[in-house]
Amino acid sequence: MANGAKTHCPYCALQCAMTLTPAASAQPASGAALEVSGRDFPTNRGGLCRKGWTSPSLLNHAERITEPMLRGSDGVHRPVTWDQALMLVTGAVRQTREQYGPDAVGVFGGGGLTNEKAYQLGKFARLALGTSRIDYNGRFCMSSAAAAGNRAFGVDRGLPFPVEDLDSASVIFLLGSNVAETMPPFVQHLQGARDSGGLIVADPRRSATAAFTGDGGGIHLQPTPGTDLALILGISHVVVHEGLADTEYLEARTTGYPAIVRSLAAFWPERVQSITGVPATLIRDCARRLADGARRGGSYILTGRGVEQHVDGTDTATAAINLSLLLGLPGSSRSGYGTLTGQGNGQGGREHGQKADQLPGYRKITDPAARAHVAKVWGVDESLIPGPGLPAVELLKSLGKPDGVRCLFVHGANVAVSAPDAGAVIQGLRSLDFLVVCDFFMSETALEADLVLPVTQWAEEEGTLTNLEGRVLRRRKALTPPPGVRSELWLMSRLAESLEAPSTFSDDPEAVFEELRRASAGGLADYSGIDYDMLDRGEAAYWPYLAGSSGTPRLFLDAFAHPDGRAVMVPVVPQKRSTRSAVVGSEREPLTLVTGRLLEHYQSGAQTRRVAELAAARPEALLQMHPATAVAENISAGDFVRVSNERGEVLCRVELSNSIRTDTVFLPFHFPGPGSANLLTEAVTDPVSGMPEFKSSRVRVRKAEPAHAESVLSMQGKLVMQGKEAS
Amino acid sequence: MRERIVVVGFGPVAARLVDGLLPSVRSGLVQLLVVGQETEAAYNRVMVAELGVGRTTADALAMADAADLAADGVDLRLGVTVKRIDRARQQVVLSDGTTPGYDRLVFATGSRPVIPNLTGINPDPSHPVLPSGVTALRDLRDAAQLREAVVAGKRVIILGGGVLGLETALAAAEEGAPTTVVHNGSFPLGRNIDRGAGTVLAASLRKTGVTVVGNARSTAVEHNGPDGTFSALVMNDGSRIEGDLLVLSCGVRPRIELAEGCGIPAATGILVDHRLRTHHEPHMFAIGDCAEVRCADAGCSECRTALGPSGLVGPGWRQAEWLAEYLILLAEGGQDAADTLAPLPQERPGVVLLKARGINLAVAGDNAAEPWDDELLSVSEGMPGRQVAQWADPGHGRYVKMTTRGGLLEGLVAVGMPRTAAELVMLFERGSELPADRSLLLRLDGPDQLDTPASHNDSQRTVCRCAGISGASIEEAVLDGCSTVPEVSKATRAGTGCGGCHGDIKRIIERHFQGVAA
Repeated sequence: MANGAKTHCPYCALQCAMTLTPAASAQPASGAALEVSGRDFPTNRGGLCRKGWTSPSLLNHAERITEPMLRGSDGVHRPVTWDQALMLVTGAVRQTREQYGPDAVGVFGGGGLTNEKAYQLGKFARLALGTSRIDYNGRFCMSSAAAAGNRAFGVDRGLPFPVEDLDSASVIFLLGSNVAETMPPFVQHLQGARDSGGLIVADPRRSATAAFTGDGGGIHLQPTPGTDLALILGISHVVVHEGLADTEYLEARTTGYPAIVRSLAAFWPERVQSITGVPATLIRDCARRLADGARRGGSYILTGRGVEQHVDGTDTATAAINLSLLLGLPGSSRSGYGTLTGQGNGQGGREHGQKADQLPGYRKITDPAARAHVAKVWGVDESLIPGPGLPAVELLKSLGKPDGVRCLFVHGANVAVSAPDAGAVIQGLRSLDFLVVCDFFMSETALEADLVLPVTQWAEEEGTLTNLEGRVLRRRKALTPPPGVRSELWLMSRLAESLEAPSTFSDDPEAVFEELRRASAGGLADYSGIDYDMLDRGEAAYWPYLAGSSGTPRLFLDAFAHPDGRAVMVPVVPQKRSTRSAVVGSEREPLTLVTGRLLEHYQSGAQTRRVAELAAARPEALLQMHPATAVAENISAGDFVRVSNERGEVLCRVELSNSIRTDTVFLPFHFPGPGSANLLTEAVTDPVSGMPEFKSSRVRVRKAEPAHAESVLSMQGKLVMQGKEAS
Repeated sequence: MRERIVVVGFGPVAARLVDGLLPSVRSGLVQLLVVGQETEAAYNRVMVAELGVGRTTADALAMADAADLAADGVDLRLGVTVKRIDRARQQVVLSDGTTPGYDRLVFATGSRPVIPNLTGINPDPSHPVLPSGVTALRDLRDAAQLREAVVAGKRVIILGGGVLGLETALAAAEEGAPTTVVHNGSFPLGRNIDRGAGTVLAASLRKTGVTVVGNARSTAVEHNGPDGTFSALVMNDGSRIEGDLLVLSCGVRPRIELAEGCGIPAATGILVDHRLRTHHEPHMFAIGDCAEVRCADAGCSECRTALGPSGLVGPGWRQAEWLAEYLILLAEGGQDAADTLAPLPQERPGVVLLKARGINLAVAGDNAAEPWDDELLSVSEGMPGRQVAQWADPGHGRYVKMTTRGGLLEGLVAVGMPRTAAELVMLFERGSELPADRSLLLRLDGPDQLDTPASHNDSQRTVCRCAGISGASIEEAVLDGCSTVPEVSKATRAGTGCGGCHGDIKRIIERHFQGVAA
């Protein structure tokens, strides 16, 4: 290990390459046992953001759980041995199964788990637990874009091209993605478009990313929240009516064009302006730039959670795809459409059976051929594989309910903070008969658990992840985990044994990957040609990677993944919600709440809030609000406010900013307790993908009384203390 | 028993209704007959002027496809008219000789252009025969006529200073046709906007090359062109405005004769209640331009203030969507089921956005009040008073007026300020409160809105956002001996993320060494 472990960052889907080396004798400020350095790689080119730089400080963190913790009748968690822990879990599963049937046991996975863990978790749920009730937190982020991609292209790979293809683009249209905060090193790939004045960002906020359109970098479209679909239809309308569509491409490579044209007739720019608040001139300008870019260096359309996390998220992603098809972008070597995956293994995590309706290789669990193939690889009878289960929001709603889940496993997720209507989710967790949470810290979800099992962190394990471009990467071990900590593969292997599960459950990542290869063979996400040796040699492996091939850096160059090789254009129009003029902002809850991320924190913050440097920079949730909106409620910068609606109330301080619309407020969702943004979001979902609405809750903001402020202060004080202890 | 629904008319509003009913047609719940007078399936009439100047194609305007509808089981009769409706037998008598029956009938007959009383034009309102070189720009054939004139660079005269007239004039002028607008008020769009906006608008029109003739009364058309085509518009002072094509843009009138012919009450439009049912005949409905929502209840407060048909397509589409839902409920579960659907909410006054490239104009509601009106300045009790805020910069073609009550817009007009206009229109549509500082809205169109770079010399400013490094930390590193960006990056981590701040770091280094040299 003279040169250190060449691995990738533990956080987001860009999976920045980094090298971990034992800390030099002079201890780094964080007190971490490892030092991080950025490593040159096409995605991050040696760059890392603050989260990556500080990531090792969590490895030997004072709050790390290093023994299984059982909650006593007094509510306090106390250490137990692994033998006791395994016995308790086995007993709880058996009892629940006997009393309520196998579907009363549920599994909630995560988009941060390695491919090996995600694959084995799906198998564990179906064969060892015998349940159909498995889903994961990727349902909160990637499902709508995935559903739209599958429908249009026949396959869903976030970026169907290597990320460095973006470098030479003339125009990049980012819809609802704030990459400057969520994956900063990615911003390098926008530079070419910025230099040619072709960065177009659609965001209700003048986010850090939207600000890059300044100084001639491009244009910022600032639609009011929830109207993205209409905006995209308006741009598409201009493309069709001004003769900017690539008719040869449409003729040769797509189906459904005439119906699209008809569906767009009603969305002329001036009408779209009155729905979205985006001036008609900008809508026309945007269409022309995209078409012009496609003829020059290339045009790319990229969507993010901002447009996808809505009840019409699948339709919105579909509209973006339709626009890209009208312009002839997908499947060209220098243009395209993509969705920016969020979580570290958000791509791989959605391919190998963690989803309720899915088997490894991105296969459908209802497809008899898929079931037969996977049953054969697993060496079991097909009838042992249960049918489709419930998508995440439904699964969580069923907790503790009659016919619902009564015993739940949570892996790599913190639903008590990250799920919509978090207050109701916490109630659900409390009504379970038995809750097992695997984590490295006492996350807000772990605090609710009967049993918390300590598992390895990224620097302590081997495995693979699939990044946002569908490239399979190796995660490598740099450090031996603390003695009481186990890998989840080990845990599944032991439990499968005690539950007398059929098939095999290895605790060796490479052995699991070898099985994943076979299980994925012939599926859409085919990994059969990839092995650890090849990845260790540094080869770039993009799926589908069939045995004997050299992988697929660029999808769709010859054909789309439908039987006839054509992309399918599905007409979509906004639901009445966004077009009906009679819908008036209710007096009681006049503002729209948008939730999102900060550069300093990752997801529910269970990790980053424990990094002293990050916690010090962003210790608390701040509500972003326009000064004019604040004045009307007599609110000043730094005041405590109550943000409320029928689902709950958040208490936090206010940050004034003229980069947000006057009818919109923004709250990051990284914080627990009284600052938890998801206390306000609603558990309504997209009808196609089952993905929840996170970006347009109605809220009311009022100045908080001093008593409330004090309770928040003491809460925040605790958080700051945690940060101090850590440093 | 399948419910037989007949839709009379196949314009954009009927197309939306048919779209909404399609699932029930496919499932066999509804048997749908659609009768369209034109030979084309529904297309977006709103954009006929753009078609007329060659900015779009007829294909792109299509809103329905006859073959697709037939495949779905819709009985679509194009180029067919309804001669009359036999209410007693519940039948429609069609020009193709058939007499299909109906359980429900929907009037979606739209409107027809108003033909002004001019010597040289046959004034019969229902069957105007326009001389060659005169068009009312309503359908695809009219568009083709305009197209021909524009391509040939012929002189186009638009009679009428309304929205459609101005849109046509602007489009024709921008595509190179010498264009004149003739209107009878002191400024164009006189029915919608106030004098300030009208003056700025007229000036802007002239700037884009449109000749504007105001306060004009036309009395006759002259057709002394080749083969007797149109040659000039004659005014009441005897003057003549010469041209090759006259576009009549004098407003539209609902087509109600079919309804009246079978005894259905009509005022300006066919009278319907809040469930779009005609008076006294609840299984007949009217939507779109031909409908006038005004219920039979004399005490209804909504209808006291109701507006006549707006001539805008938005309200028609909302009616079509609502009615599709209602008709399906009726077919599925009868009146009881249908009654569960809340009546269609009252329309807010329409918003007009000029569809034009060169001029940005938005107008809605009542804009007659002036900031200095007595009523506004006097203190009123109880109800919040009306307030007007105004910005006029005619030299730069900009004008905004916001009329509010209790912070909510009652009227708005914005010329030459696209972002302000977009925001105001949305606030109006949503009934949302304006920021107390109205000038905030004006600033949306200011250049300062787009870029707010913090001072480059503020050392507390975060230079590297990715790593969270301030200018002060970088200065410190430079003082400690770092003289290149990579050295600063190594010492501070600044510039190790996206690299976007390398220029800023370089400037800090340069500033330091310049300071040393000096």
